[in-house]
Amino acid sequence: MLKRIYIDNYKCLVNFELNFGPVNLFLGPNGGGKTSVFETLQKLQLFVGQNRKVADLFTFSDRTRWQSSLIQTFELEIERGKKAYKYELAIEHDEKSRTARVKYERLWYERQPLLKFESDEVQLYQDNGTSASPYTFDSSLSALAFITPRSDNQLLTWFKEQLPYLIIAQIIPPLMGGESAQEEKFPSARMDNYASWYRHLSQDQGLAFQLTAALRKCLPGFDYFKFTEAGERHRTLKVFFTSLGQPSASTGYDFSELSDGQRMLIALYTLLLAAQAKDATQSGKHKFILCLDEPENYLALPEIRPWMVDLYDLCSEGQVQALLISHHPESIDYLLASPIGYWFERQNNLATRVKQIRAEDDGGLSVSELIARGWLHD
Amino acid sequence: MIDYTTIVVLCEDRQQEVFARQFLESCGVDRHRIYPDVCPKGKRAGEQFVRTQYPKQVVSYRKISRRLTAGLVVLTDADVKEVSDRLRQLESALEQNGVSKRRLEERIGVFIPKRNIETWIYYLMGRAVNEEDVYPYLKQESDCKSYVQALARNRREPLLEIAPPSLKTACQELPHIFPEDA
Repeated sequence: MLKRIYIDNYKCLVNFELNFGPVNLFLGPNGGGKTSVFETLQKLQLFVGQNRKVADLFTFSDRTRWQSSLIQTFELEIERGKKAYKYELAIEHDEKSRTARVKYERLWYERQPLLKFESDEVQLYQDNGTSASPYTFDSSLSALAFITPRSDNQLLTWFKEQLPYLIIAQIIPPLMGGESAQEEKFPSARMDNYASWYRHLSQDQGLAFQLTAALRKCLPGFDYFKFTEAGERHRTLKVFFTSLGQPSASTGYDFSELSDGQRMLIALYTLLLAAQAKDATQSGKHKFILCLDEPENYLALPEIRPWMVDLYDLCSEGQVQALLISHHPESIDYLLASPIGYWFERQNNLATRVKQIRAEDDGGLSVSELIARGWLHD
Repeated sequence: MIDYTTIVVLCEDRQQEVFARQFLESCGVDRHRIYPDVCPKGKRAGEQFVRTQYPKQVVSYRKISRRLTAGLVVLTDADVKEVSDRLRQLESALEQNGVSKRRLEERIGVFIPKRNIETWIYYLMGRAVNEEDVYPYLKQESDCKSYVQALARNRREPLLEIAPPSLKTACQELPHIFPEDA
C-alpha cells in the first residue's frame, strides 16, 4: 500500500506531503494540484520502471515557477505487510543547459539501506545488510532501474516489481479499440491497450469467467468476449450481446463499436477483477494501487455507486488501494461516509494546500451540494 | 425470493451499511440493486441524519414501488434510548412531515441495534455482550462479513436466548423485506 508521498518544487506542489489510507478521495477546484500528484507518481514509475532519462520526465519548466531552487525532491513510502520501503529522489536542474541529473537516489527498507546513488556513485546493499563494492553510474538515469533480480537483493526487487502495480489512469473510452498486437500485462494510462491487457488477463480462465459474470450483471445483454484472429499475431476483441427473448442467439460487435459508457464500465470492472487476480495477490504478494482520475466519466448515474461500493469493499478488505480524483456527487456523497476525503486548493495561485474533509452540520445539504456552492470550508 | 429492482439502505455510518449490505446479499439480493444512503462522516449525529432522511426515503419508496419492486432498509442505533423510543421518533418524523405511517404490507424494515451495531457484531462473533456498554469499532468494517453471512443463512431459525433483545426485535422486521420468510 502507498503510505506517504512527499513532493517539493514540482509545479504547484511545494513541500507537499500526504499520507494515504486504503481509500482516498481527492477533491477540489480545477488547478488545485490533484492531477499533479498522479503525474508525479507516473513519472517516478517510468523513471524506475522503464529506464527513462530523468531530463525527459522532469523538465526545467516542471519546477515551481515562483521558486528559484534548482532541486526537486520526491519521496515515496510503500508498505509491505507491516514494514515499509522509502524511496528518495532528488533531481538537480541546470539552468543554462536545461538538463537535469540525479542528485541522489536512495531506497530503504525500514531503516536498512538497499541502494544509495549519489555523486555518480552507486552503493548497493544485500538483503542481509552487507554492502557491495561501489561503482560509477550515469546520473541521467535511475540506478535502481538497472539492478537485476538476484537471490541476495530480493527486498530491492520486490519494490521494483511493485511499481507497475501502481495503475495511474485517466480512462478515455474513445481510445479503447478492439485491436491487439500482443498481450500486455498492465493497462496503459489511457486504457487504450484494453484489448491487449484483456488478452493477457483472459489467460486466467477463472478471472475471465468472473469478469463475464460481473459484466452480465451490470451491462444489459452482455454475454461474452471472444478474440478473432486478424493475422498471425493480431487479434480483434469482439463482444457478444444477447437480445431479450432470444438468450441463445448472441450478436457480436467489435469492441470499438460499443458506446463510451459501455467501454468505461468494462474497463472499471476489469480493474476490480484484475486486482483480485492470482498473479497480483498471491505469487508476488503485490497489490494494485489504483490511481484513477474521474473514473465516473461516461457512466450513467445508476452505474456509479455500485462500482464505488465494490471498490470500497475491496479496499476495506485490504485487497486493493484506491486514490481517486472526483468531481461527481454520487462518488463524493457515498465515499465521504468514511473519513477519506482530501480537499486540494491553491490560494492566490500559490502552492497547493490539502485539508482533510470534515463536513459540518449544515442543515441538510449533502457534501456534494456544499462543494457545489463553495461552502465546504467556509 | 423477491427480485428487488432497488433497495435503499438508509443508515448512520459505514459499519451499519456494510452490515446491511452483507446481510441482504447473503439473502440473495443482487449487490448492484442495493443503494446505500449513509451519513457523511463528521457531518452531524448519524441518528439525526437518518431521522431527517427517513420521511424523504419513505415518500420516494412509495412513489417508486408503484411500478418497481423496491425496498427500504433503515438502520439507526438506539444508543442510550430504548428501541421503542427510536421507533417512535421515526414515526414522529413521518408525522411531522405529513407522511403517513408505515403500513404492514410495505417493504420497509426498520432495524435498531442497542446499544449500537457493534453490540450485534460482537454477539455474532461469539462474545458475551450487553446493551449498555459501548463496544469498540472493528479494525475493518468488512471484518463482520462472515458473521453477518451466518446470521443471514440462519435467519429462519430462532435466535439463542442470550441474543441481544434488540437483535431479536430486528429479526421480527425481516418479513417486511423478505415476506416469504414469514
